[in-house]
Amino acid sequence: MKTEALIETLAADAAPVRRLPPPSRRMGAWLLLTLPVVAAGAAVDGIRPDLAQRLAEARFVLEQLAALATGLLAAWAALSSAVPGIPPWRLALPLAPAMVWLASVGEGCWREWLAWGAAGLADRMWTPVCLPEVVATSVVPIAVMVVMARRGAGFHPARTGALAALAAASLASAGLSLSHEEDAAVTALVWHLGTVALLTGLGAVAGRRLVRPARFP
Amino acid sequence: MVRRAPAPGYVEKEKFPVCLFAHPAHMLETMDRRDEAARWAEWMAAAQDGDGAAYARLLAELLPVVRRMVRRRWPRPEDSEDVVQEVLLTLHAVRHTYDPARPFLPWLGAIVAHRVADGLRRHGRQGGRERALDEVPETFLSVEANTESVDAPSLRAAVASLPEGQRRAVEMVKLREMSLEEASAATGMTPGALKVAVHRAIKSLKAILARDDP
Repeated sequence: MKTEALIETLAADAAPVRRLPPPSRRMGAWLLLTLPVVAAGAAVDGIRPDLAQRLAEARFVLEQLAALATGLLAAWAALSSAVPGIPPWRLALPLAPAMVWLASVGEGCWREWLAWGAAGLADRMWTPVCLPEVVATSVVPIAVMVVMARRGAGFHPARTGALAALAAASLASAGLSLSHEEDAAVTALVWHLGTVALLTGLGAVAGRRLVRPARFP
Repeated sequence: MVRRAPAPGYVEKEKFPVCLFAHPAHMLETMDRRDEAARWAEWMAAAQDGDGAAYARLLAELLPVVRRMVRRRWPRPEDSEDVVQEVLLTLHAVRHTYDPARPFLPWLGAIVAHRVADGLRRHGRQGGRERALDEVPETFLSVEANTESVDAPSLRAAVASLPEGQRRAVEMVKLREMSLEEASAATGMTPGALKVAVHRAIKSLKAILARDDP
């Protein structure tokens, strides 16, 4: 088929399409669905009794704000990754707060290691296992994000899948920190950040199948 | 301060900043491109609302631009037009993702880049399974391929041993390469009966030859 003939065929098929709203507006819609799920996840165990005391600690506030920022920026980036032409560096924005989060928790682990030694760290590592809660709270937000991302071009399905999982898991982790009474940084590192990393990796793998790339009409 | 007279042939340099006046042609080109992109964004917005005429104009103007973009990235000129067509089809499939508030060219460039990368990946995968041949090994002109088979007498004998109807059918349709209609006119058999006879003849021949040459 000649390209000029193809253009005629495509122009004849120019049915009106529903324009994709900007990523920021779509992120707002996603948050409306996601925040109640995260709140419900946190409410299952109830708000931790020492929350007021923890909120007075700069480290706790910094880590939760970093997790929140990671979740919000990753959600924006996931929806942007489905739109052609948005510069790739903007999709890497969630890495900045994620690094702050990791650095703060990592520094806490270092202090704990100096104080308790390897055996002490290993004992505390297994105390509260948050993996099932973080995963359970993330499932619905990830699914909603995947459905939303499939409306886009889907040029980078693995990237979109990873960012969707990072967004949901970071927000779930921040939400659950308001109810989980874990004090050790090693617990946060393994069971919160570890679960976030695990889900992000799984999101990248599953994204290839779930977020379909644009095919020809 | 004493100022020396300029040497013969000396031309005094522009006193204005070079970037403002040095390349008027380049500036005009940039302005043209900006106007073009704004026009394309407008037409694309109209196309999203179902304006086929605006869409046809847009695609016609984009065609040379897309061709240039593809040729810059695609290594083989002989099939670059296939990639151009894939870009246009993808643009059509994802036209709802264009936001008229955003610049048009990065959106188009991302589609081209994606299709070219996809094509290169596919080409790389195919390259692993296929091998280019300088010479196709044709044998139909070689002596060996045209030497009469040593099995010809046994084949002839096998054909001769077929029942009359089957023998005539296979001789006309397979050996003399007559059409079913011609063979039907010559034998008075219907084309359907001829087909059945040929099928049975070949089955019988296979059985006879397999028996003779186990």
